[in-house]
Amino acid sequence: MGVKRIYEEYQRPILGLISLIGLVAVWEFTVTYVIEFNPFFFTKPSHIATATKELLLGDRLWRDLAISSRAFLWGFTTAVIVGIPMGAVMGWRTRVEYTLDPFFTALYASPLVALAPLIILIFGVGLTGKAVLVFLLAVFPFIFNTYTGVKSTDQLLINVVRAFGGKERHLYVNVILPSTLPFIVAGARLAIGRGIVGVIVGEFYAASEGIGFAIAHFGDTYRLPEMFVGIIILSIIAVLLTEALRKFELIIAPYRAEMETR
Amino acid sequence: MVPYIRAQNVNLTFRPKNRDPVTALQGLSLEVGRGEFLSLVGPSGCGKSTFLNVLLGLLRPDQGEIHLDGKKISGPGYERAMVFQEFGLLPWRTVLANVELGMELKGVPASIRRERASELINLVGLTGFEHHYPHELSGGMKQRVGLARALATDPEVLLMDEPFAALDAQTRDLMQAELLQIWDRTKKTVIFVTHSIEEAAYLSDRVVVVTSRPGRAKKLIDIKLPRPRDYEMRLTPEFNDIKATIWNSLKDELISRGIGDGR
Repeated sequence: MGVKRIYEEYQRPILGLISLIGLVAVWEFTVTYVIEFNPFFFTKPSHIATATKELLLGDRLWRDLAISSRAFLWGFTTAVIVGIPMGAVMGWRTRVEYTLDPFFTALYASPLVALAPLIILIFGVGLTGKAVLVFLLAVFPFIFNTYTGVKSTDQLLINVVRAFGGKERHLYVNVILPSTLPFIVAGARLAIGRGIVGVIVGEFYAASEGIGFAIAHFGDTYRLPEMFVGIIILSIIAVLLTEALRKFELIIAPYRAEMETR
Repeated sequence: MVPYIRAQNVNLTFRPKNRDPVTALQGLSLEVGRGEFLSLVGPSGCGKSTFLNVLLGLLRPDQGEIHLDGKKISGPGYERAMVFQEFGLLPWRTVLANVELGMELKGVPASIRRERASELINLVGLTGFEHHYPHELSGGMKQRVGLARALATDPEVLLMDEPFAALDAQTRDLMQAELLQIWDRTKKTVIFVTHSIEEAAYLSDRVVVVTSRPGRAKKLIDIKLPRPRDYEMRLTPEFNDIKATIWNSLKDELISRGIGDGR
């Protein structure tokens, strides 16, 4: 068991880590020794590290995170509950599809964040306004991916289940749901990103708390290291959520796990 | 004597949206005896598979009807099971769970299901692969699963829609031999659709040549070769005579469709 073996085994995380460390090192080195920088407009990793420590030890950041998370969770959960059944019905019933498709396609394609002022106006600057914004942004990936998944269900498998005596409910459970699942997971991945954008935009626009507000506030007051902490924390959260989603998929669809590693 | 399966004057026309209707079957009549191995051969697109789907109960004929053991076929039923050309295995189910599908839909208790599925997996020679997923299997193994799944509900009639067409030639020979063994052991009635004259001649008691579209039974050929049959039998002059008879009947149909390319 030499170093080479270990490297081959963990090639992916090792190379990923090297590129990350490399980027930070180059950044720090450049702004320390190569280019003079104005701390009002730029910062460097060591300053960010100090700011991170301070913010993590304080309680303001944690409160902001809790507030943003609540809005995100409400909006996202509602998007799941509404989006998946709606997409499924659209995929299964042509009449529903034809009725709703133009409307949804237009909404999905348009930059919904432009509606943020209106949403905030109607639902207020608190939890509700932000949750509605998250919902609006996150629901369409669920609708369209579920719809596409249902539509692309293999007709042969439908025939197989019917041939063995399956009724309509058996088709849902044994064919349509499992074949749509990967599409839904892919939709969830998109929805996570869009939902985070929803929270942040809501808090940029009008709020006095939340991680989006914190980022905007630090920016406005030229506290760039602190601002970067907020941004980095958001990326980490997005990555963790996406990773959790992947693990979840492997648990509910183990056959795909084996397909992926092939 | 009333035949076990009797198709009388079956007509079926597909009417796809925005396209011309296609008459797939016209006046197809056929009788099959209990326990018989019957093959349907005909040019591609002649309606053989359509006929099988009517027998299965997934398609309804516009006219005519099919009786099985005196009862009219009006939908899928447990006395019939299909082996599909493209296998039709559920990719999210293991081999074991795929074989259990029909029994599950029939409401057979889990413990009995498991036991019977294991027996059948053994019968088709897949012991040890119970917990594999379809994508981990070769084509031949997938079709073994398809066969085990069809046998699992203990149907009287096995419908096979070009089951070996997607397999390579050697696997195909092997599967044919095993199918004959299983047929001999289980005494099912088999209706087998194929493109291959040789396959039809080797497996069947009778071969039905189906006309080019719209399909109907053109000629019935008795295969009077002794059973059990082995691979060497295919090298005998008698076997070649049978192939020639089928070919002569089929030739005109291929030519009439303009696809008589010697296949």
